[in-house]
Amino acid sequence: MTTATDERATSPATTPGARLQRWLRRHGWTIGVWLLLLAFILWYATLIPAFGEFQIASIARNSLPTVYLALAQSVVVIAGGIDLGIGALMVLANSASALLMEDQSFAMTLVIAVGVVLGAAFLNALVGLVIAVSEIPDVVVTLGMLFVYSGLALLVLPSPGGGTSPGLRFLFTGSETGVGTNYWMPILMLALPTALLAWWMTRSRRGLSLYAIGSDLGAAYLSGVSIRRAKVVSYAVAGGFAGLAGIALTTLANSGDPRFINALNALLASLAAVVLGGIVLGGGVGSVVGAVAAGIILFTLNPILTAMGIDPNTTQVVRGVLIVLVMMVAGLLEWRRRRAE
Amino acid sequence: MSVDSEPQAPQQAEQGDAGAAFGVTARLRLLIAERPILVLLVVLALLIALTGAIEPRYLSLRGLRNTLLLAAPMGIMAAGQTVLMLTRGIDLSVAMVATAAAYVVGFQAGAGVGTALLLGLLTGAALGAVNGIGVGVFRVHPLIMTLAMSSILLGLFSQWAQTVLLGATSVDPFVRLLGAGAFLGNLLPYNTLVWAGVAVVLIVGLRSSGLGRMIYALGDNPVATRLAGVREWQVLIVVYALSGFFAALAGVLIAGQTGAVDLRLAQEFLLPSIAAAVIGGTSLFGGMGSYSGTILGALILSVLNTMMVFLNAPQALRQVVFGGIVIALAWLYAAATRDR
Repeated sequence: MTTATDERATSPATTPGARLQRWLRRHGWTIGVWLLLLAFILWYATLIPAFGEFQIASIARNSLPTVYLALAQSVVVIAGGIDLGIGALMVLANSASALLMEDQSFAMTLVIAVGVVLGAAFLNALVGLVIAVSEIPDVVVTLGMLFVYSGLALLVLPSPGGGTSPGLRFLFTGSETGVGTNYWMPILMLALPTALLAWWMTRSRRGLSLYAIGSDLGAAYLSGVSIRRAKVVSYAVAGGFAGLAGIALTTLANSGDPRFINALNALLASLAAVVLGGIVLGGGVGSVVGAVAAGIILFTLNPILTAMGIDPNTTQVVRGVLIVLVMMVAGLLEWRRRRAE
Repeated sequence: MSVDSEPQAPQQAEQGDAGAAFGVTARLRLLIAERPILVLLVVLALLIALTGAIEPRYLSLRGLRNTLLLAAPMGIMAAGQTVLMLTRGIDLSVAMVATAAAYVVGFQAGAGVGTALLLGLLTGAALGAVNGIGVGVFRVHPLIMTLAMSSILLGLFSQWAQTVLLGATSVDPFVRLLGAGAFLGNLLPYNTLVWAGVAVVLIVGLRSSGLGRMIYALGDNPVATRLAGVREWQVLIVVYALSGFFAALAGVLIAGQTGAVDLRLAQEFLLPSIAAAVIGGTSLFGGMGSYSGTILGALILSVLNTMMVFLNAPQALRQVVFGGIVIALAWLYAAATRDR
């Protein structure tokens, strides 16, 4: 439905103008979300007395966990699923990595980071396997995993604590202390995984098979896609990104925080980012690139509201209300689109 | 949308084998599919016996009273969850709605306990109705709507708990009696009496009221129900309001039990409220299930909880076990009911 190949086959665009039009039609939502992000950042710049490298670095760095989690949720949702355990898996990765990395050398923390990402990918691959084999709905299994993962996080790290190495903090945040004006490092950490994932989703056979099973399970099966394998792959990739989000969190805070409420908030942010990013719950439609911008927007709300002199608790309320309002508009639009069809 | 529509070619071969050997497994399958209540009763009895074997003191009237004392708020919270699941919904805001209601009751204590209780329960129903409007009218995904509601309430009450609600943490003696007291020689808890009332209303209501039938119909086949002239959004607002109401009722009882209100009052009840309904055989995908199953689910979870307390298992481990049980049982039910 949205894959590049079939449209190319049905509408051979010859003139550059037609090609541009088609490109705009296909990527309109994604471009819109990025423009919205630009507007938000410009708005933020007018709210504070001095906007510069420090603010850019802060936004890029602090939106890392939300963006990674949005990417994780995108992959699962595009493949027709939904992962309610993703926030809790991030918290588990955060807790485990903070515990293991405390007082370790840079090389050691790097090894642990890779191990945690692979471990999270493996755990979530098992979840995908259970869903694929049992054929029970994604919601049920991942809801159970929400509690399993967050219980495990509390078992690993009963109360907030742990740490990491300055080197790893630099790798993710561009600064060994977590504050600073180096913005190219966090932006690189935002852009590189996004580019790799976007390329993989739209240009590789396996990535396209995720779009296929999310768009039409029956058609995907008939055209030879291994549904089970695609399902497991989607959950494994999501798990890896959740692990990455957990490590980003560790490097940002220099500690781990196993509380359940973090898992719920992260889950809400990931779902909101996916829907705002133009990925339809139900699968097959959308681009991970849009979800990235939506993730940054969701984070940028915090400094904007703070700059407006609103305290953190009210910020949470305003954020929640805004998410609901956006979802209401998106829900109505989607409903009308479906009725029109 | 669900994996149900997946082509089942490889599956059919397996089922052929199972059909040929119509033995114990096939019969067990049929039993689970046809008489889930019976199976749950057996599981409950086994669990009680096992807990008794671990800690002999448990097998006393006092021990069983404590099981009821914990099961009642779980079961009441799960009542809303059951009704919602029948319509393909779910409510992740129950824990925060319960806490909000408990705060309202504490805050309004000056107005008399009756008025305070009424206001608390109305708050719950109103918050639920807002969820219902989001899901029913604006078509927001129930998970996102109720998660956002939970997040908004947490933000509001975190702020108010430090300001206007500073004095609202104490619990009225009547609420305390309702939540923790017992009668008949200190054997039957009052909260179980409340639970019994909820159970009767729900079981009869779901079976024989017009709304009850609409709830099942909507979960079973939304398109057919809509074509039959049912206004989907009205039913959804009512069921979400019901869920909020039950969560508020449970919140009041929990506050009566703990004796003080705080922000994490009902946090530990979110998972059991969903798990009880799933254990009881209610499908998250609508149209199938009953409240009698949920009652047994809540009792089973309460016994399990007691057992793990006896075994000195930390709260976190209980969470892992309950989560695992949800997945395992959902799998079992799916396997038992698939080929009919």
